[in-house]
Amino acid sequence: MKKILLISLFIWVKGFSQNTEFIERQGMVTFFSYTAVENIKAKNTQTLSLFNPKTNEIAVQILMRAFVFEKSLMHEHFNESYIESDLYPKATFEGVIEDFNPDSITQTKIIKGDFTLKNITKPVEIKATITKDKASYNIDGNLDVFIDDYSIEVPALLSPNISKKIEVKFSFKYVLYDI
Amino acid sequence: MIYKVKRFILIFTLAPITLFSQSLLDKLNKIETDSSKNVMSTFKGTRISIGHSLETRKKNTLELSFMSRYWNVEQETSNSFAADRMCARFGADYGISDNLTLGLGIGTPNGIVDAYLKQRLVHQKTDNSGLPFGVSVMQSATYRTRSIVGIEQRDNFYDKLAFTTQLLIARKFTRNFSFQISPTFIHRTSSNFSEDNHNHFAVGFSPRYKLNNHVSIVSEYYYVANPLTSVKTYGAFALGVNWEVSDLLLQFTMTNNMIFNEEGFITQTVRNFNTRDGNFFFGFNAIYHIQF
Repeated sequence: MKKILLISLFIWVKGFSQNTEFIERQGMVTFFSYTAVENIKAKNTQTLSLFNPKTNEIAVQILMRAFVFEKSLMHEHFNESYIESDLYPKATFEGVIEDFNPDSITQTKIIKGDFTLKNITKPVEIKATITKDKASYNIDGNLDVFIDDYSIEVPALLSPNISKKIEVKFSFKYVLYDI
Repeated sequence: MIYKVKRFILIFTLAPITLFSQSLLDKLNKIETDSSKNVMSTFKGTRISIGHSLETRKKNTLELSFMSRYWNVEQETSNSFAADRMCARFGADYGISDNLTLGLGIGTPNGIVDAYLKQRLVHQKTDNSGLPFGVSVMQSATYRTRSIVGIEQRDNFYDKLAFTTQLLIARKFTRNFSFQISPTFIHRTSSNFSEDNHNHFAVGFSPRYKLNNHVSIVSEYYYVANPLTSVKTYGAFALGVNWEVSDLLLQFTMTNNMIFNEEGFITQTVRNFNTRDGNFFFGFNAIYHIQF
């Protein structure tokens, strides 16, 4: 009985010691659409992300309603007509940093994973810079999203206003996740 | 007893393992985020087609609107191009705050100058917390420089005023279907005929159905509980299409009146809705959105 208890305690502690996850609750994601007719910019500072430096895994959840635009009408159209945030409230990313070196201060690596927008999942590769601080990690990078890949429909009349290629930038600062 | 303890230990042991064997994304999805948001775009514009919707404009936005109606006169001899008559209203709607909109307008047919304030009181929530509908209150005042139906006295400034108070209650039932009920109180400062009441109670019914992300069909009907008695009136009816093109909102309407103001079209619509010349009015609103 004592043996069982001891072993179970060991497994239990080990189970919890696996918690090496880092969290970002107010990550910044911005996107830009540049066309000759109109530039559209939006910024989201409520992105949620988890990062595990042991397994090199990273997961991101972006609330579509939290994007702030220069024009309030753009915010409405973005949510109502293009992203349809009532049906698809979140975009997510799940991936692994390739060849991640946990000891390096600054490193530029490729993050390979799946990006999901409007329930459509596509494999993506993101070039990101990972910086290690005393108790935190910073991950910055950018990604080009092609609207045709995610069934974002732009009426022909407005196609000169919205770029086919949306430039997405992100900047996350992770701290140790206390459950 | 021992068995129970063992089972407890087993669960106790495996708990952290199963807890951490899930993917990082699953774990992320379990983190509580504030999911209660205001329901957006119950209607597209501040007007549904002829009457007010509960929507207000966001802070520091200005909408310039051009509203127009076109119709034929009853005489068969008329041979004007496209339409015999038209009238128009030019308006400006400004968002003082996200929930308060001020609007001013001037237009034909009877030189109405109007002003309104619309305050959003309640927002419908995406997670169905709180009230299941949104509420706005709209107060407008109009000054008629000329008479339409001739029901008011026109001796002094005060005689030519009218006031409308509307409670705009709407629910977005699905992403495509919204419905508004608008209890309305109208006060006219003067009456030419003693049998006409100065105060009218009415209620508006306005459904909207979104055909796609940019086009919706709308309809409106106003029932007046105590209509004018000196002249036969009908409930104002409208059937229209809203088409949104970036900064521009286009509203096309078929209706049975030529009046742009609530107190006017709700109480003084003297035509029934049909496609006969004189009764059929085609309306067209162009609303341009400017952000400061």
